[in-house]
Amino acid sequence: MKNLKYLISLIIGHLTVFKHIFKKPVTLEYPEKKIELNDKFRGEHAFDVEKCTACGTCQRVCPSFGTIEIEKEKDENGKFYPKNYSIDLNKCIFCGNCVQYCPFGAIKMTQNYELADEKKSTLKLEINTLKRNYFDNIIDK
Amino acid sequence: MDYLYFLYLELLHKWNLPDYIAMVTFPIIPFCFVAAALIVVVIFLVLAERKILAFFTQRKGPNRVGPWGLFQTIADAIKLLCKENITPEGTDKFLFTLAPLLAFIPVLVVWGIIPFCNEFDIISFSINSLLFVVIAAIPILGILLAGYASNNKYSLIGSVRSVAQAISYELPLIFVLLSIVVLASSMNLKQIVLAQSSIYPFCGYFVFPAFLGFVVFFACGIAELNRCPFDLPEAESELVSGYNTEYSGMKFAFFFLAEYAMMFIMCAFIATLFLGGFLSPLGFYVGEKLIPNEFLANLSVYFEQAFWVFVKTFFLIFCMIWVRATLPRLKSHQLTAFAWKVLLPLSLLNLLIVCLIKAVL
Amino acid sequence: MQTNNKLKINIGPQHPSTHGVLRFVLELDGEIIKSCEPVIGYLHRGMEKMAESRTYLQYLPTVDRVDYLGGFFNSYAFCNAVENLAQIEVSKRSRYIRVLTLEMNRLSSHLLWLGSYLLDMGATSPLFYTLRDREVLLSLFEELTGQRLMYNYYTFGGVRHDVWADWLKKVADFVEIMPRKIQDYEDIITNNPIFATRTKDIGILSKHKALQYSITGPNLRASGIDLDSRKDANNLIYDELDFETKIAHSGDSFDRYMVRIEEMRECLKIISQCVNWLMGNEGDVISPVKQPTLKVPEGEFISNVEAPRGICSCYVKSDGSGKPYRVKWRTGSYYAVQLLPKLLEGTFYPDMMAIFGSLDVIAPEVDR
Repeated sequence: MKNLKYLISLIIGHLTVFKHIFKKPVTLEYPEKKIELNDKFRGEHAFDVEKCTACGTCQRVCPSFGTIEIEKEKDENGKFYPKNYSIDLNKCIFCGNCVQYCPFGAIKMTQNYELADEKKSTLKLEINTLKRNYFDNIIDK
Repeated sequence: MDYLYFLYLELLHKWNLPDYIAMVTFPIIPFCFVAAALIVVVIFLVLAERKILAFFTQRKGPNRVGPWGLFQTIADAIKLLCKENITPEGTDKFLFTLAPLLAFIPVLVVWGIIPFCNEFDIISFSINSLLFVVIAAIPILGILLAGYASNNKYSLIGSVRSVAQAISYELPLIFVLLSIVVLASSMNLKQIVLAQSSIYPFCGYFVFPAFLGFVVFFACGIAELNRCPFDLPEAESELVSGYNTEYSGMKFAFFFLAEYAMMFIMCAFIATLFLGGFLSPLGFYVGEKLIPNEFLANLSVYFEQAFWVFVKTFFLIFCMIWVRATLPRLKSHQLTAFAWKVLLPLSLLNLLIVCLIKAVL
Repeated sequence: MQTNNKLKINIGPQHPSTHGVLRFVLELDGEIIKSCEPVIGYLHRGMEKMAESRTYLQYLPTVDRVDYLGGFFNSYAFCNAVENLAQIEVSKRSRYIRVLTLEMNRLSSHLLWLGSYLLDMGATSPLFYTLRDREVLLSLFEELTGQRLMYNYYTFGGVRHDVWADWLKKVADFVEIMPRKIQDYEDIITNNPIFATRTKDIGILSKHKALQYSITGPNLRASGIDLDSRKDANNLIYDELDFETKIAHSGDSFDRYMVRIEEMRECLKIISQCVNWLMGNEGDVISPVKQPTLKVPEGEFISNVEAPRGICSCYVKSDGSGKPYRVKWRTGSYYAVQLLPKLLEGTFYPDMMAIFGSLDVIAPEVDR
């Protein structure tokens, strides 16, 4: 009796596996087709230099020390602005704290997740790269 | 075979060559044919396995190299051949090199036993089915040597398991073979195939009287091939890769080739014993009816027969892959227990049933 | 190579069967395991010490990495401890969102466990089926939080942003189809004779031993002890939801498997209830607390949450400043690894995977 039960379950198991042969493959062929990302995705950063007042909140909420570097300076009106601003992706954990807690909404995250590169130095995003990201990915949308 | 030899002799006579040259060179031709066919079959078998496994799991399988990934295995083979042959320190160098050859060469030999058509069974003598069982056991020695020579604990455990497995599964295999011999009253594979022909298409196949034997033989075949669910010698969750853990490059390619070639041959053997081998399940040959020229008709029949062997073999291979996709692995002592307590009695029961059927008919 | 006729064998730190970098030193006599010594620490990241140099908000994103398959649970444990210390009120809607995400996370964790366990046992297809279904969950998480594993979605006193109807609809669709998929897994595996003989009466964990080794979670429930911290968690809304705690009695590998399978079904029940509530009710989820400058009054608190691998506790001691004075994690896998030598002694080598896999050990959770 027990053996019969086992036999039946073996057959059911084989049929269950067999039925998947008729289903559509779920493979996503990566380099050609890409996963659809929504606006909340946390990828490479973008930076709007106009909005930034170099207050340093992003530095203070960042869990990884030394990721964000700001060099602030006063302009002729007496307002602070970031002369230099860089995000080191080698250290960044993409938690999104800097985006969430920036009081002026100057930092955004883009959908770009293909960050592999040959050199470590290119992963340190300087202010120009960040600005370009902003224009390419945030404003163009 | 005689017919082909006759054709060959005539060809040589046309070129005014003496008979003894034909006698010496004739065996080389089928051998070359076999070796080439083996490699082609294995290359596409590996691809087929990966593709079918992918379909079972809702994936697409290899599809990068060539159309539908057809050249994937060729690319893999080239990669393996180009790789460095690493012989780790502390290995027995002679045995380490010998083991893959021991695993591979017997496979080439057994290939010749399978009758692919009426005239094409290269190693043809009265008890060649027994030869299959004998030679098919030699690769196990290669596996044992590989495990012993590797100086690796995983390999050693894997090879010891493999031997234990081979010993327990050989016995039911032979008992089932015996039942087929009883049914066919012959030990020659071609005679066994011909004994399965009947007036109605595919009704005479031995799978019907010896169905139990078919199941047992199939299970033993899987075990003999070290495939899932009997893939203990290479159980990756325990033994990394089993007996071939330390192998790389060409030597690994030999093991790989031997494994898949043996899989094809085992399935062809089962198809020959139980599913009527080269007999057409339609009951007639298309070429025989359509082609008026007698010589061409005969030739087309041979190809058709080879085609049917391949169809039946691939059906069995598909089943093996299906089993692999479904079942988890057995445990080593469970495996031997399964062989001695379940398969051996079943094979004896099968022999009894077959003998009764034979006596009644 | 040989000492006293025993074969010493090293499993890990790089080995196909130890998911992550765990290491075992086994002593084999033939195929029988004579002793087993787990070696941990290959994945130690200083999770606890790290807290002391970071503010509460800075520490929060890293917490997800304690157990990468149950990021929400760790996040919740830490948030809950801080909320209790700082007396932050959490709105009802955020509690529902938290329970919803927690249970989805539990489901995804169990799915991965199921696939990898069966792969360890040699069955290849279920892995792909479970990963296929887990992919749906991960995509949902990605849509909600922005990332697939490291969510950083909870804040002190709420969640980052509200869920929206479209997303809830997707979750509801998933809950609709999932029971059939679970039935598929069961069809392939549960009654399979090979699986049954490999797991039944293997690695039996008695009630007494389970309590001695402070095993929690599904492993404990498989031994017949009805301990589910969800039932007495008053700060989540589990008491308003209708679900059962599944227990089994013999405590072998098969029971641990069954408990988890049943738990997946219960997860679906909870998820659908949460989705219904969230669709029908409005509310605020954004925390009123100013996160970057959060200061926690002096005190200490331990918060517990029923994580997929046992109770996950987070102990937070505050000295009144913006940084925690001490954070201590208690995770289920650590205790399961301690248990392993006892369970493995005298079993066969292939049983190792059947036992080790069924305990659902995740290496980063052991080492933290």
